[in-house]
Amino acid sequence: MATREPETGWHGENSDVNHLRGRAFEATCLAATAFGLVSVLLLLLFVANDAFRPFSADAGWLATYAATVLVPLAVLAVYYYRLDEPAGEVAYVTSGLPVVGLLLTGGFAVLFIELLSVLEWFALLISLVVAAGLIVAHGRLRPKAALERLGVVLLTPIITVFGLPPTRFNWFVTDMAAALGLDFGLYYRVISLREAIMMLPFVPTDWVMLILTLVLPVAGVAGWFVEQRRESRRDGLAVVGVTTAAAVLGVVAGPLLGIGTDVWLLLVTFAALPLGVYVEGVLRRGEGVRGLAFPVVAVVGVAAGAVVTGALGFAGPDPWLDWGFLTSATSRTAADAGIYPAMVGSVMMIIVIVLTTFPVGVGAAIYLEEYAPSQGLTGKFVTLIEINIGNLAGVPSVVYGLLGLALFIRVLQWPQGSVIVAGLAVGLLILPIVIISAQEAIRSVPDSFRQASYGMGATRWQTIRQVVLPEALPGILTGTILALGRAIGETAPLLMIGAAASVRLAPNSFFDVASMMPRQIFSWSSELDPAFRHGVLAAGVITLLAVLLVMNATAIVIRNRYQRTG
Amino acid sequence: MSTETPGPDITSRPSGRAARERMYRYVLLLCAAASILVTVSIVVLLARDAITFFTLVNPVDFFTGTEFLISRNVYGLLPLLSGTLLVTVISAVIALPTGVAAAVYLSEYASDQMRSVLKPGLEILAGIPTVVYGIFALVYVTPFLQAIGLPVNTFNILSASIMVGIMIIPMVSSLSEDAMSAVPDSLRQAGYGMGATKFEVTTGVVVPAAASGIFSSFILALSRAIGETMIVVVAAGSRPRMLNLSDPLANLFQGYQPMTAAMVQINSADSVSQLGFTSLFAIGLTLFVITFLLNLLSNRIAARYREEYE
Repeated sequence: MATREPETGWHGENSDVNHLRGRAFEATCLAATAFGLVSVLLLLLFVANDAFRPFSADAGWLATYAATVLVPLAVLAVYYYRLDEPAGEVAYVTSGLPVVGLLLTGGFAVLFIELLSVLEWFALLISLVVAAGLIVAHGRLRPKAALERLGVVLLTPIITVFGLPPTRFNWFVTDMAAALGLDFGLYYRVISLREAIMMLPFVPTDWVMLILTLVLPVAGVAGWFVEQRRESRRDGLAVVGVTTAAAVLGVVAGPLLGIGTDVWLLLVTFAALPLGVYVEGVLRRGEGVRGLAFPVVAVVGVAAGAVVTGALGFAGPDPWLDWGFLTSATSRTAADAGIYPAMVGSVMMIIVIVLTTFPVGVGAAIYLEEYAPSQGLTGKFVTLIEINIGNLAGVPSVVYGLLGLALFIRVLQWPQGSVIVAGLAVGLLILPIVIISAQEAIRSVPDSFRQASYGMGATRWQTIRQVVLPEALPGILTGTILALGRAIGETAPLLMIGAAASVRLAPNSFFDVASMMPRQIFSWSSELDPAFRHGVLAAGVITLLAVLLVMNATAIVIRNRYQRTG
Repeated sequence: MSTETPGPDITSRPSGRAARERMYRYVLLLCAAASILVTVSIVVLLARDAITFFTLVNPVDFFTGTEFLISRNVYGLLPLLSGTLLVTVISAVIALPTGVAAAVYLSEYASDQMRSVLKPGLEILAGIPTVVYGIFALVYVTPFLQAIGLPVNTFNILSASIMVGIMIIPMVSSLSEDAMSAVPDSLRQAGYGMGATKFEVTTGVVVPAAASGIFSSFILALSRAIGETMIVVVAAGSRPRMLNLSDPLANLFQGYQPMTAAMVQINSADSVSQLGFTSLFAIGLTLFVITFLLNLLSNRIAARYREEYE
């Protein structure tokens, strides 16, 4: 905490106070602060130069784009910084939202290409919705039967998604019953609702299924959000309507523009919808409208640059990091090498982590903040847990890899280097981070909120679900996204559980052997060929860092928007 | 912050709801207890194979052996410890003074605007994946060191340690800054009241008052350096060797293999004997114990300074 410089005057006017030493000390400290930053910045410039090779372009090409893109954007940025700060934030968000949307679109597109067909996704989602409906219906019909509901909650999703295995021949009791002449048990496997849907003789086309299961739900959530914010049901419905219309329009217009229908629907859902809601809000409020100029200038500038360089025949640079790098598999020759299968591996690993670590981590944080007693035997146990979590956060990542190797591969005999093993090992690594950040978020919810909820007769769980969690959600999300960023970059655990050094085909199941982005980058680092060392490797590093940058920027924006002030 | 239990539940029907409330409590307790399970399984699973190893290799030989050669079934930990020690010492020489100076600047001198730029900047340093730091060391720093005339090998401990040092600066600076910010302003005012300059107050009052917090950040950073894997795997080479005590400077320019790097190499080697494979767990357990003890120590020290001013 910096204090005010003491008023000079009553003691400091005489010349025997030496300011030189203080100044030198301050300068040294500033230099120390800047040392790490500057050196890493320099290294990043070197890597970026290797990855993009901007100087392999014609001078005219560089000058054209500098004139059409860089200079206008720099002028705008200075203007926002100096004169119009709200517009600066608008510019930041409107440029960032499409990037995050494109990243999400890419992630989902990869899922639909590699992991499950649209039909499988449709069937899975419908059966989950049916299961949820059954559970809610049971709650309405028999509100008092708590234990019965526990059974329903556990069994319904299993039945709708997985089906029941045949029990007659492997269940001891049925064998006994058969010996006694009684006959029960299942002869055949009972198929699940999911499988039944997939066996339907006729199914809707892909785009209908995607609109039903992806576009409409996301649009519904956005509409609900808008409705809550503006207290206007009409606005909410308008959001849903416009989004659906845009989605259907794409089915007609997409092929004309050369965009696949699926990609169009994903783009509408993840990029256009949030951007549209945000831009509409900015226009309506009339605050920082000038910020909208930034993305417009960027797009117009790029288009103008393309026209000019095309007309004058300037050749662009020949970067290592290009579309081919992002969409092809690695190869012995540097020119053909790409990172696509490793990206799919990373995406699938993140899914495993989100599904396993996130619920456990948030659950633990809720227990420690809301339930944990401070006295008695349980109290001591809780203190032990707290200390233990702090220590786990400091355990080296390679040890988590060793744990994954010993537990999942040697004890449980799961396939070496598979996505699920990688996800669980890295998930254990970030578990303490998720718990600690969720604890902080929950702790920042004022106690008066809880007291008010209790005062209205809510139980503890109702208070947590209806009051504490919604309030703490932005903080929990911020912490989780940052932890996921850490997870994407972790390499040592992947090496220990034997993730593949390089794979040609993307994994299409969670038990497939896969490579992940940092693992692939590590294998390139042992190539001696300079084309790999200063080309492919740099492109891989920049790809990884770009993904991390987008994730961290998202987390910071969420934190700044929803930060509890005071 | 756990609130007190609300009074007796008078509004709801007791039977089902109470059971459900209890159920949620136990499910959540289970989630919290999972972290204990992680620690226990680390210890048990690592110890299981490590004990197998120690029944075949005398622990005394393991901890005092000066040669590590799996192909000849010679397992001495000291060469690996030498590598770890070198990385830790060199990175500490870089990171500890820099980190404390950065903390002093951020806590005592920086304007709000400077802080809003520098603090997130330092956090970014901690967020860069370690494999990227390793590539920085191998592809850019080592050639740079060669270019300025240092006789470094392609794989050397110096460039790896420089990168480890830069990576742990934010850990030192953020924890030390927390400690310095926790020093009450009244102490500073008292210093100014005695006619001290800002420099004297900072070095004579604030830093000593925050000493235990700074020290705890040091230990945590060292523990991080000891456990750092990818930077040394990529850039420090794969040859375990003993410290050369007769010519200390030459040590810097050679490749070493710290414990973490050895673990990765043993695991990814094509043909390793069963004994060689279990040595992995012995090394891993040693590493776990060292870092765990350091973290405990750091927490102890940090807990003490918190009590002082709150």
